[in-house]
Amino acid sequence: MNLSELQTDFQNILLDAKCRNADWVAEPQQNLSSQQRLTIYHNAYRIRLIDTLYDTFEHTANYLGGEWFDKLAASYVQNFPSSHANLGQYGKGFSEHLAQQLPNDLEVAELAHMDWTLRRAFDGADATALTQQDLQQLVATGAEFSHFQPVPTLSLSTQQFNTLDIWHAINQEKVPPIAERLAQPVTILMWRKGHSPHFRSLSAIETTAINYLRQGQGLEAIGEALNQDYPETDIVAEFGGMIARWLDDELLTR
Amino acid sequence: MTFSFGLGLRTQHYHDFIDAPQPVDWLEVISENYMVDGGKPLAMLDKIRANYPMVMHGVSMSIGSLNGVDKEYLKKLKALEQRIQPMWMSDHLCWTGVHGRNLHDLLPLPFSSEALQVVKRNVEQVQDYLQRPLVLENVSSYVEFKDSEMTEWEFLTEVCQATGCKLLLDINNIYVSAFNHGFSATDFIEGVPLNSVAQFHLAGHQNNGVHIIDTHDHPVCDDVWTLYRKALLRFGYIPTMIERDDNIPALNELLLELDQARAIADEVLNTKVAV
Repeated sequence: MNLSELQTDFQNILLDAKCRNADWVAEPQQNLSSQQRLTIYHNAYRIRLIDTLYDTFEHTANYLGGEWFDKLAASYVQNFPSSHANLGQYGKGFSEHLAQQLPNDLEVAELAHMDWTLRRAFDGADATALTQQDLQQLVATGAEFSHFQPVPTLSLSTQQFNTLDIWHAINQEKVPPIAERLAQPVTILMWRKGHSPHFRSLSAIETTAINYLRQGQGLEAIGEALNQDYPETDIVAEFGGMIARWLDDELLTR
Repeated sequence: MTFSFGLGLRTQHYHDFIDAPQPVDWLEVISENYMVDGGKPLAMLDKIRANYPMVMHGVSMSIGSLNGVDKEYLKKLKALEQRIQPMWMSDHLCWTGVHGRNLHDLLPLPFSSEALQVVKRNVEQVQDYLQRPLVLENVSSYVEFKDSEMTEWEFLTEVCQATGCKLLLDINNIYVSAFNHGFSATDFIEGVPLNSVAQFHLAGHQNNGVHIIDTHDHPVCDDVWTLYRKALLRFGYIPTMIERDDNIPALNELLLELDQARAIADEVLNTKVAV
């Protein structure tokens, strides 16, 4: 058997649900059989990936409990082999997998999506955040405000359930509330401030403003667009407050 | 390379290294942990690097893959190398997956002439790209192959002699594989060329009676310390590190274990001089 065939077969054995024996393994002279030896690798593969999912999806695992999480993680590992050099990147599709597996408990997938997004924000790309002082200097010099961008770790997601309440309860080691569908979906902003991932819910107008920002519009243009979208609102006060908060939250970069 | 003692940098010990000087000569970082876009891992790495020399230790190069080493991986590895300027860079004599998969394990190779050609070709490509010698570590293994035509140490010797790469001898891994396959760990130590070793790893394992699992989650056991003595006698002053990958204790505990390595090295090498 050549090396290509051997590596392909070895890999297939590890990826298959049930470990089988292989005729390319040298007959052991002592103790374990060749299949028992292959089983060490077969088990280690699953344990390592499931441990990684536990590490990344900490709130989800806590919410589901070990037995349920183990089953769902094992089915994900079985169906979705890794192609990442960095083990920490494994689990990108886990929230979608949970949505498919638990269509009547979609708050679980939302929780997993939060776990994943916040983990990616943790080691996402760096950017120098704009400060109040930076902005004041720009105002003083009459500079254009068209070149601000959201920091690269910023992301928005929509939640249909009271997932945020569940998250907070888990964080406070309290019994999570019963999952409920919200009257209106809520937009969640997630990003990294300093070294720590952050999140908060957004109002409709702030969601609109951040979407304009993500589309590359400058602050002046965003203000004008919000004026048209929300004619009943005092946009000067509302948007001014938003910008101040964005600066405090380290959401803007140049 | 001078005689020195290091530890693997683990997240649990970031602040120990940032807050106060620690008695280690260098730190070994897992390359893949820092092949990320940004955030705390790289910020901590930069801060700690300012005060400690570092070596890079990878787990995903897959030097034994027939498909060759992934170019995108090498690009990221080199970017990290340029960021932290390590004293040397190591990975394992193994393969981690084929056809675009990563099994996240250090899978053993058959010690065949075909595998030897593949490893030599891959090592040469990596060294050309990185413009420095690669350091290869022996892995613990649980299976041997019918296609093997030589011992592991003969295979390693051939790779070193053909490519100029160096070896990271994991003394624990030698012990584990020797136990699991019934060969002599001493033969391994004595079979490796004298001038080829760049670093030693010392680690613990889980002995299940009929076989040993390489867990790197226990203190170094007496048998591995004994093997370390033999390695010191053969190779002399080789940079040595305690490698703990799981069940990470407080830094002080690892520093005490490193002191044990220092004491043994002093004793063995002084004895050697006296003899």
